[in-house]
Amino acid sequence: MSQTILTKSGSAGFLNPKKRLTLTWVLFLLPALFIYLTFMAGPLFDSLRLSLYTGQGYTPTEFVGFQNYINLFTNPLWREKFINAFTNTCIFFSIHMLVQNTLGLLFANLLSTDFKGRNFFRTVIFAPATLSVLVVGFLWTLILNPQWGAVNKILIAMDLKQLALPWLGRESLALPVISLTSVWQWVGMPTVMFLAGLMGISDELLEAARIDGASEWDIFWRIKFPLLKPVIGVVAILTFVDNFNAFDIIYAMAGAKGEPGYSTDLLATLFYRTGIAGEHPVGIPDMGMGAAIATMTFAILMTGVLSWLYLSRKQETE
Amino acid sequence: MQKKLFGLLSLLVLLSLVLTACGGGAATEAPAEEPAATEEAPAATEEAPAATEAAAEEITLTLGSWRVDDVAAWEVINAAFHEAHPNITVKFDPTNPPDYNATLRTQLETGTGPDLFFVRSFATGRELFDAGYIASLKDLPGISDNFTEASRAPWATESGEPYAVPIIAVSHGIYYNKDIFAANGIEIPTTWEELMAASQTLLDAGVIPFANGTKDAWDINEVVMMQFIPSNIGGFEGRMAYLNGDRCFNSDEMVASFQQIDDMQPYLPNGFEAVSYYDAAQLFAQGQAAMMMDGSWSIGAFQKDATDFEWGVFYPPALEGKDTYVTFHIDAAVGANAASPNLEAAMLFLEFLESSEFAALLGNNLPGFFPLTTDVPTLSDPIAADFMAFNSNAAGVDIRFVWEKLLAAPSGNVDAYTSLNNNVIAVLKDEKTPQEAADAFNADLAAWYAPAAGCK
Amino acid sequence: MRWNRLQLFFTYVVLTIWSVIVLFPIWTLLINSFKPQKQIFKDPFGLPETFTLDGYREAWNTGRFDLYFINTIIVTVIALGLILFIGSMAAYALAKWKSPVANFLYIFFIAGLMIPIRLGTLDLVRLIKALNLQDTYWSLVPVYVAMGMPIATFVLTAFIKELPGEMFEAAKIDGASEWQVYTRIVLPLMRPAMATVAIFNMIKIWNDFWFPLVFIRAEESRTVALGVSLLFGQYRTDWTRALAVLSLAAVPMLILYVLLAREFIKGLTAGAVKG
Repeated sequence: MSQTILTKSGSAGFLNPKKRLTLTWVLFLLPALFIYLTFMAGPLFDSLRLSLYTGQGYTPTEFVGFQNYINLFTNPLWREKFINAFTNTCIFFSIHMLVQNTLGLLFANLLSTDFKGRNFFRTVIFAPATLSVLVVGFLWTLILNPQWGAVNKILIAMDLKQLALPWLGRESLALPVISLTSVWQWVGMPTVMFLAGLMGISDELLEAARIDGASEWDIFWRIKFPLLKPVIGVVAILTFVDNFNAFDIIYAMAGAKGEPGYSTDLLATLFYRTGIAGEHPVGIPDMGMGAAIATMTFAILMTGVLSWLYLSRKQETE
Repeated sequence: MQKKLFGLLSLLVLLSLVLTACGGGAATEAPAEEPAATEEAPAATEEAPAATEAAAEEITLTLGSWRVDDVAAWEVINAAFHEAHPNITVKFDPTNPPDYNATLRTQLETGTGPDLFFVRSFATGRELFDAGYIASLKDLPGISDNFTEASRAPWATESGEPYAVPIIAVSHGIYYNKDIFAANGIEIPTTWEELMAASQTLLDAGVIPFANGTKDAWDINEVVMMQFIPSNIGGFEGRMAYLNGDRCFNSDEMVASFQQIDDMQPYLPNGFEAVSYYDAAQLFAQGQAAMMMDGSWSIGAFQKDATDFEWGVFYPPALEGKDTYVTFHIDAAVGANAASPNLEAAMLFLEFLESSEFAALLGNNLPGFFPLTTDVPTLSDPIAADFMAFNSNAAGVDIRFVWEKLLAAPSGNVDAYTSLNNNVIAVLKDEKTPQEAADAFNADLAAWYAPAAGCK
Repeated sequence: MRWNRLQLFFTYVVLTIWSVIVLFPIWTLLINSFKPQKQIFKDPFGLPETFTLDGYREAWNTGRFDLYFINTIIVTVIALGLILFIGSMAAYALAKWKSPVANFLYIFFIAGLMIPIRLGTLDLVRLIKALNLQDTYWSLVPVYVAMGMPIATFVLTAFIKELPGEMFEAAKIDGASEWQVYTRIVLPLMRPAMATVAIFNMIKIWNDFWFPLVFIRAEESRTVALGVSLLFGQYRTDWTRALAVLSLAAVPMLILYVLLAREFIKGLTAGAVKG
């Protein structure tokens, strides 16, 4: 057993096993921390402080304290834009939570038992996640085209012409449709994570329940679902964080201007249009305000994540 | 797992090396350019032994732009410049239009910007100049002689100090399918009412009259609405009246413009809300729509895609009794990066852009883009010539309505472009009447543009 | 355990419908990239009547895709290797170190996911320039490694926490140092979680075009995603070429994924045999 040995200098403290352990941990963390601080956290948090300034270009220099935040919430136009973006983001997230994660659970459950062709289906479900968002955006925009897209052509062929709508052009439809496209792309993620969770449930447990006469439905809700709760928690928080910062799929299918009529404007696109690209066509950015929007997004996300952490710790200790 | 991952990816690296060998043809072309350039340089110094030190130095300038479609044409233009200045090579390096402003600004702010770049007109470019990124051109020889004041204005301060050389203007019009027109007995309409009647005929015959959609909101704004406005308000003088507050932005003329938009609505494609700009071009090119309101920049695209039928252009006619004014929009200029290490060479290129040689190269290699030099070259492309002819047949020409003074609203206000765009689309979606749209437009502007607040 | 006849039927129906919804767009992408424009317009779903490689040929010649592929592979392999290595080290510490510092750092790592990454663009460009890495693809490596840290710590820490404590205690009793525990026990067991992190990051790195756009101008240093985005912007009205370019972007990742999927799944099932 390694015991404390007094060093020549007589300070027992340095080789105290507890302190040595701490040092070891610090060394383990150092490379990751260094790179993360220098190339991600540093630039990001540093840019958040730009929200306290106003001025031209991407590095505003005139210190204005919280004026940007005040404007964001008191100026009717900014307030409307922000609330609109926040609401749309919530809708985007909800559709993912409800559709993507439910489908993921369903697929995972179906795939959790061995059958012929199971590998094939598993591979197919995850495949769209490997595509670039440019590809997904272009393909689905083409498929949803009101004039020659597959969706409308099929609907018309099925004699459902009144359902052949301009999907990406109507304010009530554009965001849900784009959300569903994103679900199409990413459903593989929760599927795979739930599948891993389901595979960890012992077969004997399930077998015993079946012998006892429990239906599959019962087995799912009484055994599988409760045992999956930790995975569901992880999937939920990942969905939350990923979607509240969603940008790429919207950019690919509707641009960063929130067309049509700001119905597809999310927090991340509002940030981009304010702080980086500027309003079309004048293109003059307001980075101070943009940073304020980004900081608010961060605050919203932080609140969500901390709540989740608190709740899951509470669950652990119960 | 890591080993397998590594193994597979190393395989891929090997594969790519094999591909490089196969693609060796392409690989050897690139290095081949440089030997050609260095061969010319010593040749030049041999022929001109009295050449100055500057001439002997090899300089490469980068030219940034949003015109990703024009790479081939600019190679021709840059080659011509290279002939005149064998030690300077200009590389055309475009960025996709939606990313251009952001990328350029990032590069300028971090000191990695190109030596030369396309400058957006009015407020956008002016802001970069005020921030010190663009070199002043007040001493550039020929800048006042080769361009009218109106052409220089979008890239000059109030005191007339220029900071970019105007190179491109674009025009607008209605591309039409001659075969469909002939088949339905339609002549080129001379008034708006005739155009609407013709559209009804087309619709009854089962043809989509206009290909335009609103998914790309800018299209209906820049290429449709802003062609209606000048003919209604009386061109340049009319626009000045609005800018001075002598007319309100919801005057009868503006309402009439919104009304024209409303008139067009039944003649747009089914589901036009989701028809993008490129979709519309396809509808026209494939012969499904009889007309498309579009800009002169699309000549090349239609020459490539619309090959099954005869087509031509005509200008949107004014309302009965009104004169036609053409929107001839001064679009782009080239400026020099104030922090460029090759500023002298960049200035030489800018001088080249003032020449009639350049004007001819531009006009003929990029049909639909019109040089702004006072010496207008003869254009070889017949459709480009048609567009130019619009100017001479009209009562007057003007730039797009909202570009001067109305584009940059103070924070927390709506600018004229966005307001006009939103209100035009609202009319098309039956959310507002033309009067309501014009009133909303006026209200948005009156909130921050003083002359609009006090208009008569 | 196997599904019974009815359950199997239901399974096949649901999964087949979804597979059609997945494969149909990809099929459309591929077959239309071999058709001339007019044919795409007239018959978007059928096989090519006139088979043309023009789209691919032009895309390959206009852009230096052979070069782009090599650049992207180098960046991806190196970044992934670093993410997995230093990410797992950090995750081990975060999972096992009981202290408020560790808790704080855990949240700190995840916080990076909550801010739109493009906000930090300018600072990053300046940093890259100061390191003299601009216009090279090496500029991308540290940024992608940093961006991979949040997900890596999140997934790997959770995974390590789930590992049975007895293993660690046994190792400690045998006198193993933390480093030895990490290399001999933790790393081998982490394969499924590492696979998840690897695939997730690989896709993000391969498909990112924003950082290449702002860091790199020289053609020789471009990545596939950047090349695709630039060419795609040029080909908006030319569907054959656009689809060919998009296929060039999509197919390598798809093939790689299919090849690795078996590993990925094997890792998942192997690591999940518990209880």
